[in-house]
Amino acid sequence: MNRFNTLLQREWMQHQRGWMILLGLPLVLVILAGIFTEMGISVEIDGDTVVKHVPTAAVQAFGSIAGMAAITLGLAWLSALFQAPGLARRDQQDRSIEFWLSLPTGHVPSLGATLLAHLLLLPWAALFVGAAGGLLVSLLVVGKAWGLAAWFGLPWGSLLLGCVVLVLRVAVGIVLATLWISPLILITMAASSWLKRWGVPVVAGVIGGGGLVLDKVYGHTLVWNVLGTLAENAGRALIVADRSGSKGGLAIHSDADVLPFIQGLPTWAMHDLGSALQSLATPAFAGALVVAAAAFALLVLRRQRGA
Amino acid sequence: MTEPLIRAQGLTLRYGRKVALDDVSFTIPKGRVVGLLGHNGAGKTSLMKALVGLMPGEGQLNVLGLDPRKQRVALLDRLSYIPDVAILPRWARVEQLITLMTGLHPRFSAERARALIKRTSVSLTDKVKSLSKGMVVQVHLALIAAIDAQVMILDEPTLGLDVLSRKAFYEMLIDEWCDGERSVLISTHQVEEIESLLSDVMMLNEGKLVLSISLEEMDKRFVALSHDPAQAEAMAAAHPLLRYRVQGGSAALFDGLPPEAVQALGQRVRPSLVDLFVALTRAPEMNRTQG
Repeated sequence: MNRFNTLLQREWMQHQRGWMILLGLPLVLVILAGIFTEMGISVEIDGDTVVKHVPTAAVQAFGSIAGMAAITLGLAWLSALFQAPGLARRDQQDRSIEFWLSLPTGHVPSLGATLLAHLLLLPWAALFVGAAGGLLVSLLVVGKAWGLAAWFGLPWGSLLLGCVVLVLRVAVGIVLATLWISPLILITMAASSWLKRWGVPVVAGVIGGGGLVLDKVYGHTLVWNVLGTLAENAGRALIVADRSGSKGGLAIHSDADVLPFIQGLPTWAMHDLGSALQSLATPAFAGALVVAAAAFALLVLRRQRGA
Repeated sequence: MTEPLIRAQGLTLRYGRKVALDDVSFTIPKGRVVGLLGHNGAGKTSLMKALVGLMPGEGQLNVLGLDPRKQRVALLDRLSYIPDVAILPRWARVEQLITLMTGLHPRFSAERARALIKRTSVSLTDKVKSLSKGMVVQVHLALIAAIDAQVMILDEPTLGLDVLSRKAFYEMLIDEWCDGERSVLISTHQVEEIESLLSDVMMLNEGKLVLSISLEEMDKRFVALSHDPAQAEAMAAAHPLLRYRVQGGSAALFDGLPPEAVQALGQRVRPSLVDLFVALTRAPEMNRTQG
């Protein structure tokens, strides 16, 4: 375990600067925007009438926290997904692979630590940092619109509980969503490790080209169906697993609905998580895991063969 | 008799259809400094990769009582290795590498690594990418020498270094690591520089082990005769392994004692490792079988 932790520490040492910028930049930009612009005020133009609507302090605070968490998570996740193919050849490209292979660490933990750090720990960190930064942003937004006293007077018990539950739901959702799209991530990584710079174009060509040929020539939409299933299930796993239209009694029609909405989040989140977990007991998920495991085995085989 | 640290029996390594190492057998006991010599493509790196479990092969290979391919991690706990193209990660600081080695290697001593690095011109806060090639190699050796291993495998560790860096490297290796119990297998093209450090030599030629011998035995077995150029024809008639120039004349190298009539024509001198290497590897028709 100590070795695995050290492998994770290595990821932090190597990528800390980029990760800190990625996690900190949205907060800095939003705070700067908050200082120099009017935030939290929507303008509706109805003919000649301009109606200025300032959301309540609770809406602003909840929106700031949830929004910042979503923005930071989105950026970090997108960045991790785009970088994943390159991670497969990172040590070959900086020519340090022989050094790492000369150390007594197994191929599986070495690759596992890289995947865990980039695909799970970084998005988790982004989610938590974003939510924490959102608190700061809420102070700025609410303070500007309603005064500092309004911020201190917010129903913090319900607000924080709602936010924490929502963040935890998304944190579990990140794990599940990553598992759903793991075949795509790992196939791309495996292709990149074996085919070098041609890996990503080949995967894109095979999936895209193959899908088009099957669809247009043979009338089979198998590839699009598989991609759609993975994407849809990943989205549901992340948040709002039940998209049947039923919101478990949670809806916001006016500012007055905000507090009950936040107070109802814990119950809703548990129900939503249950729905997300239910979808794991399907052949589609089992198939996704099998393909992902095969692609991971290809990555291990490539590393076994050295540089 | 104690079990050798490394034992290879009928070891064959292939890259697809190409044979990199052909039916090689040898042993390395403890406390030896073995030079692995061979031209480019002779199979040195392949052999070293097989020894650390990074290349599959046919035949038997046993290192420290372990199968390198199946027990690579356990083997690397007790064996340290500097590959030929080893480049320390450029993003890392020296202190970070010590931290990582501490966590990844159970026999690594951070204190010893810091002490060894202190003797170089490198600072613990230096980033690898800011160091010269010679400095990087010094840092790498300091890290590897801080591992309490039983075997060290060095694949052309001083490639591309200037003479001062090479000297510093070998001094650190001999002074700080070799203790009479541990063994080192080192491959290099700078044969003359390491000759005085070696206790044994192995020579590879086109995948075959053409010589595996201690330097003591080598001195007894191979005979070089320095002679007057006028005796060249007589020497050639005795079919030496190699005829070459020495200061002030010519010399002929024989595997074993030359015929008595020829012995009288010259004066016995110690053959250098370079001359022997050239004799055994310069052309296939000149090769002799393993000693």
